[in-house]
Amino acid sequence: MSGGGLPGDAARAGAVLELRGLSLHDGERFYVEKASLRLEAGEVLAVTGDPGAGKSLLLRALAGLTPAGLRREGHARVSGRAALAVANPALAPELPLEHQFAELLSATAGLDPEAARVRAAAALDRMGAPSPAKLLDLPPRALTDALRWRAALALAMAGGPALLLADAPGAALDPTVRAELLARLAGWAREAGVALLLAGRPEDGVDGPADRVLALERGRLGPPAPAPAVAHAAQHPSGPPVLSARDLSVAFPLGDGRVLTAVEGVSFGVARGETLALLGETGSGKAVLARALARLAPVSGGRVTWMAQDLARAGDEMRRDIQLLFPHPAAALDPLMTVGAQLTQLLKRLRPDIPAGRRPAQIGRALERAGLPAATGGRYPGALTPEEAARAGLARALVTEPRLLIGDEPAGTLSGAAREAFLARLLRLQEEEGVSLVLATQDAGTGLRVAHRALVLAGGRVVEAADAAVLADGARHPYSRALVAAARGERPGLLPGEAQGRQEAGCPVRARCPSARGACAEAMPPLEEVAPGHWVACHGPEPGQI
Amino acid sequence: MNLPPDTHPWPAAWRRLTARTPAAAGLALLAALLGALVLAAALLGDATRDPLPRALDAARISLSFAFLAGLLGAGIGLAWGLLAAALGGTAGRRLVETARGLAALPLVLAVPLAGGLSGHDKAMLLPAAALAAAPAVALATQAALRGLMRAEFLTAARASGATGREVLLHHLLPNAALPLLAAGWSALPRALAAEGFSGALGLGLPGGRAGLGTAIGAAVARGDAAGLLAPALLLGLTLWALGAVGDGLRAEADR
Ligand code: SF4
Repeated sequence: MSGGGLPGDAARAGAVLELRGLSLHDGERFYVEKASLRLEAGEVLAVTGDPGAGKSLLLRALAGLTPAGLRREGHARVSGRAALAVANPALAPELPLEHQFAELLSATAGLDPEAARVRAAAALDRMGAPSPAKLLDLPPRALTDALRWRAALALAMAGGPALLLADAPGAALDPTVRAELLARLAGWAREAGVALLLAGRPEDGVDGPADRVLALERGRLGPPAPAPAVAHAAQHPSGPPVLSARDLSVAFPLGDGRVLTAVEGVSFGVARGETLALLGETGSGKAVLARALARLAPVSGGRVTWMAQDLARAGDEMRRDIQLLFPHPAAALDPLMTVGAQLTQLLKRLRPDIPAGRRPAQIGRALERAGLPAATGGRYPGALTPEEAARAGLARALVTEPRLLIGDEPAGTLSGAAREAFLARLLRLQEEEGVSLVLATQDAGTGLRVAHRALVLAGGRVVEAADAAVLADGARHPYSRALVAAARGERPGLLPGEAQGRQEAGCPVRARCPSARGACAEAMPPLEEVAPGHWVACHGPEPGQI
Repeated sequence: MNLPPDTHPWPAAWRRLTARTPAAAGLALLAALLGALVLAAALLGDATRDPLPRALDAARISLSFAFLAGLLGAGIGLAWGLLAAALGGTAGRRLVETARGLAALPLVLAVPLAGGLSGHDKAMLLPAAALAAAPAVALATQAALRGLMRAEFLTAARASGATGREVLLHHLLPNAALPLLAAGWSALPRALAAEGFSGALGLGLPGGRAGLGTAIGAAVARGDAAGLLAPALLLGLTLWALGAVGDGLRAEADR
């Protein structure tokens, strides 16, 4: 549908938002300092900043909701109504959506419930929500995160604001789903002549659909600093695989005789010093696959070998060779033990060859390689910042001197420069010591940048496999292309919907694939080599041209 | 509150607990009450005719009862919750559902009823009060353990080659201590309330001992407002203090 069913006046001219020297402070600290900015009707601006940079406070102040205790100085003018969309409190969790729309639209536009319902359905449809009429009868609690965001943004749209402020819209969603959502929102704002301000962390993808990007750093709003030197994979090492998987399947028993198959028929090899990225959305099986390689998930079929030894039959000595980096490093450390005590325990178990007297030196070295001072060994996990916790997790993985590191979103809790620094350190260690890396991530941009090869997983199966450079520029499978596009901030080209888990039969992406056809529902397409070393599983006429 | 980063989480939790006004006030009140009870017992002997020492004597009896019944109730509840968490599956779910169903009932009111049904057998009061407190403890125990059992640091310990026994003894149990203390503590105010309620209805403690509830019931029966004040105040304050400390413990356990 067009924007016609929704309010918003494309002819609205001039600045909708104007800030001149706006400051927000509590008498001690300036959260925003002398911010100046002009936002026109139909313009899309992204404001990025690390967690705690003051983005949310700025947005709340612009919506007229300056938190108590905060003082506002300088000039801020909004012509027309401002609407704020935030992750949680925007919607009352138990009240059916219809009532929430009716309440807002009766207050802002004087609409009766019937007219409000029509406008609400139009806004939900515009935000890509399936069957808006049915959705209106449900309370937000019954919706998935993605649908809740679609509803929250539709609610903000429906009131006909002149300025829409969205705080970290869809930040926790899959990049593909989020990019599609943001592209819709930006498209609507441009069409309806609404000024749109998207705020988020640098990796939240808010810059993708924006006309302009500003960064909020230490209270100062200005052009973003030139991108930090980003880490790239070193030259592709060659050699026989040290880790190899053949037809690997992972299934969890459900207790009542049934099993949940999370990964099926996956094969790959990783050479010494090589990095393999496992890419995919939530439920794609990448994290389960990573855990299976660390022997933390039950292998139900196929075979994994490490240095030509069957992983399933190996003893504990293999654990010293293969270490895992957890997605929530702080949660993966026992809160009641110091970092040093946990590393000591690990050494005792996995490196009995190192005498007790040499353990402190070994631990000090691991901390240093992870970028932490030796004193961190005496600290408890609760006292660590997210960055320190990620590094402590790295130190723990390094202390046994492993030869394979498996990372499950190892930088997932970090933002901006801290994230880049962590990845750069990981790659440097790899280069210096020839460690092999397997990195599971939903961020195809990072994955393809730091890896030599990549597997793209959907519904527990590999849908594309190729060298990272090939995938970055010439992914052929519609789903891989969506992952790459989303990482660049472009519209992913999949139909609206959610990341899906395993399907009984057929292509796991078919519900969202614009080229899906009959055969796609019947059988999972086989992996076929379309170019040397480049494998694609798609029934599409010519993968890549779809 | 800024503590040095090498402060063990338990002392740190104690410092935070005592920094919470209600919990600190509750602890101070309980300490003062215990001190007063010891002093009263030592200085005043058994029988005096003044309302305050009499109320203190009743409070001593009530608190001893609440402590014993609470301990028993906490023990039953902890075992119940542990069993539910360890069994998991259908059996575990049944145990949880039973506890949830019972915890939703006003079991404190059922204690005098149990006394009545047992032909005013006062020896029934202690197990009845313990049983009334147990389901809520069981629920809190099972919830805390279920969350802990999914904790990533246990997976990390397994990944580092720890045996099941090591995971249990070195990681799960120490981390469960505070949540289980918070769960068990909730049995104390419940047991005290049960005794107070039963006593007020004339179903006092065994052996003719008069607890706070009995004192309240007797004062009401006599229409003695002055005699009512001291035991009612003591019972109310003690219940509040136990509750405030319990809330503080729970908040620390949930951190
Ligand atoms: S064309 Fe068919 S097989 Fe290929 S991605 Fe789309 S749904 Fe899957």
